[in-house]
Amino acid sequence: MNIDNYLETIKFCRFCFMCRHLSAIGNVTFTEADTPRVRASMIYGATIHPELFANEDLIKTMYRSDLSGCCRRNCVNHYDEVGLTLAYRADLVEAGKAPEYIKTIATALMNSPEWSVSGKGKVAYVADNYSVESGAAAAFGKLAKEFRTVSGGSCGKGLWVLGFRKEAKLLAEKFLKALEGVETVVVSHTGIFDFLVNTIGEMGLKLDAKVMHTSEYLAGVKTARPLGDLYYLESDYLRNYNSDYPYPRALLTSNGANLKPFGTNDEESYSCAEGALLLDKIEPELVEKLAKYIEARADNPAKDVIVTASPYTRIQLGRFTSLKVKTIEELLAEAL
Amino acid sequence: MLVKENNYMYEMIRTELTDVLGEQYVGVNDADLFGHSVDYYWIPEMWHDRGMETPKPDFICHPSTTAEVAKILRIANQYKIPVVPWGGGSGSQGGALPVYGGIVIDMKRMNKCYGVDKESLTVRCQTGIIAKHLEWICNKEGYSTMHLPASISCATIGGFLAHRGTGVLSTKYGKIEDMVMSLEVVTPTGEIIRTLPVPRHASGPDLTMLFLGSEGTLGVITEVTLKIHPQPEAREFRAYIFKDFHTAMSAGAELMRSRLQPCAIRLYDETETKTHVRKVFGMELEQGAYLVFGFDGRRDIVDCQMRYAREIMEEKYHGQDLGSKGGDLWWENKYKFFYPPYMFHIPQAFGTLDTVATFANIEKVYYAMKKVVNDGFPQARFIGHFSHWYEWGCMLYARFIFEEEAVPKDPREAAALYNSVWDAAIRAAIANGGVINEHHGVGLKLGRYMKDLYGTAMPVLEGIKKQLDPNNIMNPGKMGFKGI
Repeated sequence: MNIDNYLETIKFCRFCFMCRHLSAIGNVTFTEADTPRVRASMIYGATIHPELFANEDLIKTMYRSDLSGCCRRNCVNHYDEVGLTLAYRADLVEAGKAPEYIKTIATALMNSPEWSVSGKGKVAYVADNYSVESGAAAAFGKLAKEFRTVSGGSCGKGLWVLGFRKEAKLLAEKFLKALEGVETVVVSHTGIFDFLVNTIGEMGLKLDAKVMHTSEYLAGVKTARPLGDLYYLESDYLRNYNSDYPYPRALLTSNGANLKPFGTNDEESYSCAEGALLLDKIEPELVEKLAKYIEARADNPAKDVIVTASPYTRIQLGRFTSLKVKTIEELLAEAL
Repeated sequence: MLVKENNYMYEMIRTELTDVLGEQYVGVNDADLFGHSVDYYWIPEMWHDRGMETPKPDFICHPSTTAEVAKILRIANQYKIPVVPWGGGSGSQGGALPVYGGIVIDMKRMNKCYGVDKESLTVRCQTGIIAKHLEWICNKEGYSTMHLPASISCATIGGFLAHRGTGVLSTKYGKIEDMVMSLEVVTPTGEIIRTLPVPRHASGPDLTMLFLGSEGTLGVITEVTLKIHPQPEAREFRAYIFKDFHTAMSAGAELMRSRLQPCAIRLYDETETKTHVRKVFGMELEQGAYLVFGFDGRRDIVDCQMRYAREIMEEKYHGQDLGSKGGDLWWENKYKFFYPPYMFHIPQAFGTLDTVATFANIEKVYYAMKKVVNDGFPQARFIGHFSHWYEWGCMLYARFIFEEEAVPKDPREAAALYNSVWDAAIRAAIANGGVINEHHGVGLKLGRYMKDLYGTAMPVLEGIKKQLDPNNIMNPGKMGFKGI
């Protein structure tokens, strides 16, 4: 089973409380079950009582994890409870026990349109649905030249996160085919960035191109005026999955941004469960709660200018709060 | 009455609770019920580890207001249902376990902070707030609660109030009971009361202190006003190695008797110095006992106090100076001990036998506990450190550890072995002037020693309990009070 690769995580996380304050979902549902400790403990229970493995309530809990990776980042020994949760989901799917509401989302992903490529150049920009809806893709078009656009399909990350690993690999292969001949792949979507940097390797696939988040690719952009006071919301994928990826902050500060600390700390996730990738499809009411939690931590919700490297986060905060949130691409394009 | 899921009364009561809180805030699903059936107490952890069924509540209520707590308690009284308040569930004494089922009131939704009073230096909040979250709020304003225990990330403020918790800076800033200005409490019968607004007065007995440490047996603490402090300009530590434990203890006691104001002192016995400190800090230490202390506040006052403290350590007790780096390492790693894999964990059996006594008695307590553990359980290790110091004495954080091969596989035999260590060690502590606990509380684990400890005063406690909680709904069977 996939969870057998995480026996050490089960062993240690089930006895440890040290990250419970960082459980984004736990902080809005207030339940013990929504913490890494209890999730690990329940999976341990399922290893000795197999009938619990597909318990409906356990499944629901495991599919609403925020997967922010804050626990792993702040753990002294970086035990990978995120990996454990994903492994459990994969085991569940392989056992044919995925719940119907998850299968429905997975089926929609499997039936995604084919990728289409337009434009020319050795640089490809991935214009996924979130990047388009958030405005990041359109803004990128104003900031960059000479790139081809890859759009329309599903890369496989969503299926991977839901536990449909075989099907995810099939989509990934199609995605990589659409990127053939490209020297640099640029993405706004932080989940797709993580997919290309980390997940395809776990699938046994390889991309012969450099992968950049837009914030790295746009490092040379100079705005017409200093960006001034800003609050930057960290991305789960860029910060917690990719070793504090420095480019978003660097790009903003190089353009005169005075980055003010958002909220009360730099440990929590203020991303609306970006790491879960599809929580807005699985339990949208939880995403709303997460958004309200973030809104409540703004210094001045009516005035603060908040920027994110994540189109997903931008969309959710725009949908559920009155915060003034922009993607990095939008902010730069407006300040050219 | 104890409700059962297949009884229609279960649905009747659930309906009433749902009417108060809304459906999403009355938890009955398997995952939530399991999550509230195991805390940080070794027995339930072991029970679950061995595949045994853990005692679960019937309902988990998530109130957001004091009024909702009051309504829940009135419903519980109506049907005589046990109620257990639950904070972070990180208690090590089994105090929050729903051993009779019933209602768990999970307080974490009551997490509002009403802001910092910068004139009086206080903060008022609901008690379900996780301590770290409150600390972050205070930090943003330039202040600190100075309540910085290892469990700060997982425990709620209410949990600390309920069992009289302590943080690493207790020597200067006090235990949680020293930090409280006033409380709001819902009594077992559902009345909402407030204790006096200030903690120093001559206006009758102190109700605040009655509820602090009551572990959910006398009501639910719903709000608190706490003292806060400006972040200090300087905080500096220094560490020493002394030739033996007695010399180190004498030096620490002298530091307290000098009436200098250290923010922390920690002394490790020789066994723990050799093993634990070396392992965690990566420091190669010579033989002896390791002592670290610190001061904080204005830079010039910290320097002045450190100078006098060094005189005590070096000139009077001939400690080997490890310098500020040796002390800073301790401060930087103060929570590292509690992360896996450093922390003890199942399949080991382990327990923290924390107690407190005067300087005149503390070494007697230490040696008596060590002797009964070493003599009665030679397969166990006994280690200890002294981590909270007062003008008159200090706290012993003694621990026993059985490695996996020494722990019976049968859960009942394991529990029996475990309990027999506690019986021997706690009775040794009481016999030598110690108490049954210093900052983890009593809970289920230590309740059976309450009569030994309190003697003829125990009926006074029982009388208070009976008066406040005539139907014995609040956390029955805990803290030595009668069960159902």
